[in-house]
Order: sequence, then C-alpha cells, then structure tokens
Amino acid sequence: MYIGIDVGGTCTDAVLLDRGTVRAMAKVSTREDLLLTLLEALDEVMKGINGELIERVVFSTTVITNLIAEKKYDPVGLILMPGPGLNPNLYRFPTDTYIIQGAIDYRGREIIPLRLAEVDRVAEELAARGYRKVAVVGKFSCRNHRHEKEVAARLRWNYPNWHIEEGHQVAGQLNFPRRVVSTYLTCATREKYQFFVRSIQEAISQRGIKGGVFILKADGGTLPLESSLEVPVETIFSGPAASTLGVQALMPPGESAVVVDVGGTTTDLALILSGQPLLASRGVRVDDMLTHVRALAVKSVPVGGDSVVERVGKDIIIYSERLGAPYCLGGPVPTPTDALRVLGLTRLGDAERAREAMQILGEPLGLSPAEVASQVTGKVIETIVQEIENMFTRWEQEPAYRVWEVLQKKKVRPSTVVGVGGGAAGFISQIAARLGGYPVIPPYAPVANAIGAAVARPTLQVTLRADTEQGFYIIQEEGYQGKITDHSFNEEKALELAKEWLCRRASRYGLEDCVEGLEVIRREVFNMVRDWVTVGRLFDVTVQTRRGILYHVGGGGYRHEK
Amino acid sequence: MKNKKTGLVFFPAFDWAISPTHPEREERLLYTRDQIFEEGVLDLPEIEEYAPRLATIHDVARVHFCVPRVQSQVTEAHLIAAGSATLLADAIIQGELKNGFALVRPPGHHAMRVVHGNRGFCNINNEAILVEYLRRHHGIKRIAIVDSDVHHGDGTQDIFYHDPDVLFISFHQDGRTIYPGTGFPNELGGPGAYARTINVPLPPGLGDETFHYVVDNLILPILDDFKPEFIINSAGQDNHFTDPLGSMRFTARGYAEFTRKLNPHLAVLEGGYAIETALPYVNLAILLALAGHDYSYIEEPERPGRMQENPERAAMVKRIVDQLRDIWENRDRVDLDKIFGTGTFYQRRKHIYYDTDYIEEEQLEKVRRCPNCPGYITIDSRADHGYGHPSHVFCVSIPFAACGACQAEAYDVYQQARKSSQYQYIYLQDKSTDTFLAFDRDKGQEWVSEGPRVGE
Repeated sequence: MYIGIDVGGTCTDAVLLDRGTVRAMAKVSTREDLLLTLLEALDEVMKGINGELIERVVFSTTVITNLIAEKKYDPVGLILMPGPGLNPNLYRFPTDTYIIQGAIDYRGREIIPLRLAEVDRVAEELAARGYRKVAVVGKFSCRNHRHEKEVAARLRWNYPNWHIEEGHQVAGQLNFPRRVVSTYLTCATREKYQFFVRSIQEAISQRGIKGGVFILKADGGTLPLESSLEVPVETIFSGPAASTLGVQALMPPGESAVVVDVGGTTTDLALILSGQPLLASRGVRVDDMLTHVRALAVKSVPVGGDSVVERVGKDIIIYSERLGAPYCLGGPVPTPTDALRVLGLTRLGDAERAREAMQILGEPLGLSPAEVASQVTGKVIETIVQEIENMFTRWEQEPAYRVWEVLQKKKVRPSTVVGVGGGAAGFISQIAARLGGYPVIPPYAPVANAIGAAVARPTLQVTLRADTEQGFYIIQEEGYQGKITDHSFNEEKALELAKEWLCRRASRYGLEDCVEGLEVIRREVFNMVRDWVTVGRLFDVTVQTRRGILYHVGGGGYRHEK
Repeated sequence: MKNKKTGLVFFPAFDWAISPTHPEREERLLYTRDQIFEEGVLDLPEIEEYAPRLATIHDVARVHFCVPRVQSQVTEAHLIAAGSATLLADAIIQGELKNGFALVRPPGHHAMRVVHGNRGFCNINNEAILVEYLRRHHGIKRIAIVDSDVHHGDGTQDIFYHDPDVLFISFHQDGRTIYPGTGFPNELGGPGAYARTINVPLPPGLGDETFHYVVDNLILPILDDFKPEFIINSAGQDNHFTDPLGSMRFTARGYAEFTRKLNPHLAVLEGGYAIETALPYVNLAILLALAGHDYSYIEEPERPGRMQENPERAAMVKRIVDQLRDIWENRDRVDLDKIFGTGTFYQRRKHIYYDTDYIEEEQLEKVRRCPNCPGYITIDSRADHGYGHPSHVFCVSIPFAACGACQAEAYDVYQQARKSSQYQYIYLQDKSTDTFLAFDRDKGQEWVSEGPRVGE
C-alpha cells in the first residue's frame, strides 16, 4: 500500500492507496510544527493498518519554503569568480559578496588564473564578519570545476569547521547568477533540512514502516528521503506538482488537459500534454531570486474560495489575501465561496449567512444578493480564464533553436478542463465553457494532491557533456570530470556512458528498478571544425528515468502507466 | 521608451549548414549560446526572448526574383531568419519593445534582387525583406540600413540602389583585399537615389579608433540629416581582430560602443566566423548595448595586440570620410544628367559571381527615369551554372511609390517579354499593389502571389 501526504498552506491532505483504489483519506490543519502535522496525517490514514503493509510513503514538504520565507537560516557569504562579461555589480545577492580573480570559458579553458593570496584575504574578511557558511561559485564552473575546487580546498584547509558549498555540485546547467542563488540557498538550508529528515526517519521507523520513504520535488519527481539531503532546495514548491500528478493519475492515460486547482487563497494552473505534465523551461523563483530548480509549468493566480471580497465605491473587488474562513462558514468577510453558495453552486456552509454576505456587498449598490454573487463569480472566472490564455500563449512562444522545433510547434490547445481542490466544483463548468472545453471533476478531486504524491515516480537524470578535442567529459549532476581515452569515442559511446552513470546514480540511491525504460531527452552532437578540418566533437546527452506516475487511480480499475 | 524592453530572437539553427565544414555551419552560434545562457542575460528584466517565426514566400517575393521560384531557393531556415526580423519589427512598431536583436542565421546581406543561388553564404536578404515588410505592413517610408560587416553589403546595395527612401551605409574592409570586391566611394546609388548609398572602404588592419572616427564624423551626421523612421543594423562581426576571413582589428567593446551610438531599432546578425574568440563576446556586447546595460566588463581572452594604428591608413580613411561628407552635403545640388546622362532609362551592366554555388551571372539593369516616382526597373539576367544551358530570365520591378504611368508601362513591358522566346522565366513584382507574377514559358503557365491582404 502507498501513502501520499501533501502539506499545504492551510490544510495537509493524506491518502492510503491500495493498488488502484483509495482506502483512506485524511485532511488535517497544517500546524506550526511541520513534523507534527505530517505525523498526524500519517497516523490518520494508517488507522488499523499494520506498518509493515506500507510499501511506500511519499510526502511533500514546506520546510525549505518556510525556512527561506522566514529567513530562518544562518548567514552565508559568497565568493564569486564571474570573470569578464556582465558587470558583476548588476548581480544583487542578499548577502556579502566577494568577487575574486579567476575565469573559465565556455569550453572549460582557464582564461584568467586564480590568486590564492586573494582567496586567503577574502576568507579572513568573511571570518572577521562572522561567516561560517560560504558558497563558492564560478562562471562556467559547470564546464570546469577546477577553480571552485581549489578555492574550496583552500578554505577548508584554513577553516576546517566551515560549511562550504561549490556551485558545480549544486547546479550543472548554464546560468551563472542562478547557480549562485541555488548554491547560496543550498548552503543556507542544508543543516536545518538534515535535522528535519532525521526526525522524520525516526518517526517513520517508530511506526514500523519498512517501505521506501520519498520526498516530492517541484518537477513532479520523487527522491529517496536520504538522497534529498544532497539537494534540499529541490523540495520547494512541490504542492502544485502534487495536484497535477494527481489529475494525471485520475485521468485516462495519454490525455491532454488544463488543470485548475482552486484553493483557499490561490488557484494553481497547470498543463498536461499527451499525458505528461508540462515542465517549465526555466528554474523557479524563490524569495524573489531566480534559481536552477526545475518545476512543472505552474501558474499561481492569487484568487481562491476564501479571498476577501470588498465593495470599493461602485466596484466589487477581489483581493489576494485571506482573512479567515468564508462568511457562510463563520468567517469575518464575504468571499467567492459565499457567492457560490448563493448561486447554488456549492453546498458548503450556511445559506442564510452567504446571502447576508452578498447583501453586505450589494445593498449600497442596489443589487440583489444573486446579482452580486454572479458578479463575484464572474470576476473570479474572468481572472482565471485570462491566466489560462496567457499560459497557452507563453507555452506556444517558448523559444526554439532548431528548424524542426519551429516547424513542429503545433498550436493544439487541450479541450479538457479538470478542476481539483476545494473551490473547483463551483467554478469549473463556467471556466470550461469560456475556454470552449469540457469540464471534468474527477473522483477524489479534493485529495488529488495527496494521490499525486503517492503515485509519483522517482526521477533521476544524468547529463553528459563530452569534448573530444580536449579529451574530457563531465557528468553535470555529479560534478564529475573524467578523461576520454577512447580514440573512437562517438555518439553511441557517449550515450552508453551517460546510461552507465545513470545506473550508477540509481544504485547509489537504491533505485535500481527505475533504470528500466530510460528516456533520452537531449542528444546534441556538434562537429568542431577549425580551418576546414574536423578537430573534435562536442556531445551533449541527457538521459533520465521515466517520468510521471506509477499507476492510475479510480474507475475501479488498476492500470499501470505504460 | 524608457521602460520598454529589448527583444531577442536567438535562432542558432543548430540543424542547418551549407556543408559540414563550411563556416556557415551548425556550430557557428554554439559558443554564443553558452555565453548568453551562462551570463543569465535572458533573465534580465530589460531583455525579452521571442520564439522565432517563419516569413512567408510572399514576403520573399516582395524583394527577390528567385529563379525559378522562391521555393527552390529557400529552406525553412532562411524563412525563420527573415521571419525573426519581421517579428521583432512588429513588436517594436506596436510599442512592445524599444529595440531588438535578430541573432539568427543564415545571413543575407550578399543576396541581390535576382537570386540564382547562394552567394557569400546568403540566399535571401533578411534586411531587404524587413524593409519591404515595414513599408507594406506598417506604412513606414524612410528607412536606414547601416552595414557593419567586414564584407561589403553588396546584396542590400543592389536591391536599394535606385530607392530614394532607403539609405544604405556600409563600411567594410577595402574591396581590393576581400570578397566581394565592391563597395567603393564612387558607388553612390542610381539617378533617382543619388547619395542614398554610401560606401566607406577601410584599409586592412585598422581598429576601433578609425571605426569610431567613421561613425562620429560620417554615419551619425548623415543619419541626423536623413531622419529615418527606422534604423536597421546589418550586424556582421567579422571586423573583429580574431576573424579568420577579415583583417580588421575591431573589438567587442568597439562594436558595443557603435551599437550604443547608432541606437538602431533592430540589429540583424550577418557574418562573423571567429566562432570561439569573437562571437560569444561581440554578440553579448551588442545585446547589452541595445538593452542599455554596461558592457565595459566584456573582454575577449585574446587582446588585439599593437594598439597604435598605421597613421597613413588612418589618414586615408579621413580623406574618404571628408569626400563622402562633401558628396552627402551637396547631394541635392549635383547635376545628375552629368553623371547619369539624359536618357529616359539609366542602365548598367553587372557581372555577378556566386562564390558558394559557382554561378556566373550577367545582368543588364535598366531603371526608368521618372520625374514623378523612383521609376520601374527591368533586369535581363543570364546565369551560367557551369553545366547545361544557362538560365535566361527577365524581371520587372515596380517600386512601392510608383506612379500610375510607370506602373502601366511596366505591365506592358512584362507582357512584351512574355512573347519573347529568349527568356525561360519572366517575372513581375508590383510592390505598389503587393502582387507578384511569374511566367514559365515552357509550361505556358503564370503564377500569381497576392499574399494576405493588409491587416490580415
């Protein structure tokens, strides 16, 4: 049996799945103490079930999100090697930043050497300012990590107690400023995250659960709890991924849909295209800083069932904040949920109080409660529909760098609109109608997020870059640089090597089963020609384990995702 | 204007090459991609990346006579490069962007009005397609093109040689020392567009100092006078000191400084084949300059060496600049009949060599000297491919601002040519009505391209 737990801002949802059926559901309020919340939800769905029957527990966590939002982490100093390019003063990182000499180019060649004396001087200053955590990041360190390693080694030698994080180990993709932020946040949160993971592990073993424990990531994949220690920041923003995967699990395989998750204060929008959730092309923004963390392409709209509705002059305005429950549920102010209640689109709360809420808004304008209610829902729907349209446009306008990509881009928009989350039932038919699509509310919609967490597949990825002219290769995710000794190194061999590394990574994580059905998601070969002669080749290969879900849920059936 | 962004279409065409080892190959913008991505410039709020778009066959036919047809001369990659320029221009005119950079390949500035094949790595002229698009779709009249490629932009010059509303300025390495061997100060435009073509040949080896002398003392003052509504930069980067084909010594910062001063609406990548030592840095520099960012921290790993310029060569450039300024300032006082004769037609013979496809073309170009409009143009073109029969075609082009008499006369000329047995294909390009005709004599068939109506 599988357990999925999704921690939200107000509620935490949990489900117990037995093959394709939902055996138990639970909804508890999210408390200050995340650990207590998780365990409460866990105990709730496990009532009367022996811990040994649990094969798998997956949960999302907001621990990192909260740490960052509340800035409850130790200060981190930055040592950067940006080399020539953008004016480094343009980068604004929220901490003391020291720029030192040293530069690597796009092919990993040193263009400006390091000066260790400068490293020592900067380290002394950081020490004097009380820093014990330092992130070291160089431009193009993903192409050659030598400078970062040398600086880190020097710091460790002089300050053995410091916690030092190197950029190439955190983020192997191109984009230096994002690498800096990702490394900074990793350095800042790793220690506290470790404490959290240890507590969870203890609690789980107390309950006799011997199955695997996984953490959900923002890209919809999962990581074994222990491995997530390496990449704490990747655990942020996994909530929207949970709902999207839940919809994927609750829908027939291979379909396309718009997912509308109407929550208390926000509505999350996502796209499922031919059965696969759409990934964002760039990393997420955390605390107003851009990172390399991959996530599903989810748009959060600041409007939900509990949003505050007010009359200002002759206008009715929906605000992004929440002041408590809807009026019909005993809350202090009118909300969209009250409007739905008046229109008979929900059975939540007290009908009389809902009427009263609409009356408060409408009386000065001479409008009946029903008229106000339809204005309020109209505005919510308008906002959501507008954002869905924007989302389609953005997706269609993603840059393409090859002729075939430009020609391939079909402008097919999904016609199914799936509603999940508490407020979906009242809005989804009208949203679908506005988009010219079909509304669907799947069974178990209120706990789709927890279902999504329960069935999310573990994901592993390996990116190999090989430069045969210079005779070396890099495994991006591992921060590994190796020599190419084979003179007949070619595309097939590059692919084999990447797969080999993926298998190695999988067995390190205890995920040997996942390497079945590897997917090659990028395969680039460039001939390097100098003076009309081919002097070498550049290979860029990315392989990953299959993404998505383990099986579909509901409809009485039990279908393995093919 | 202040809060608006700089638009970028980055289309490296990673799956398109002229041939595997040709300079115009897949690898050309690979390191530029790495540099731009690693710097994180696409995350800057002042820069917005756009997905590329295809130009239409009709957009191409508005400029070129492709033999036998547009479809036989262009690949999708060409249409994407040209379409990216028009896409950015749309956004600029609509006020979404302050300027843009079409960082695209393949290039186009050697493609002339008649296209028998590829010359100078170009099949169709991206800037010319943009100019005609701007006139047709946005009603823009006066346009300037400044070509900063090391090679003379002979294709662009050819297309606008008789067009008084398009100012074409090219500075480049002296044609006696580099392909295509043209672009001398005496090439000044036809009788109806005198001094609307300005060429500044530069002796090899000169660097940023001379480059900026030309910009400050010739290009900017002329632009000031001409008052274009739209400025296009043919942003070739092979004047860079590391370029394998050129012999100039410009730097990335020199290019950025030029971009800042010129302040073009749109920069379109042309040549530049130092794919590792120049392109990543020059492209970044141009993009930052367009976005109004500091580019003073950009530095190539190699340095241009001896910074002192050869004083004799620098003095030669100053003389050319003086001479051209003089011509520009007196352009309306000059006696055109003295230069071009007094006939109703002005004609010139051209021998055009297609270096990539080994084609020899002989042209007789005639322009009607009309007091009321720029006059229609006819071209008799014979191309020898080195095998089989040479292809012989006849082309008639009616300018955008044609008068009724010229338009009527041009249609007659086209009908006459259709009856002649010497041409395989006869073309009529009526820019005033956006209608393009092609007649295949062997098949006795005429194709008409009317394109979408304005506003569609």
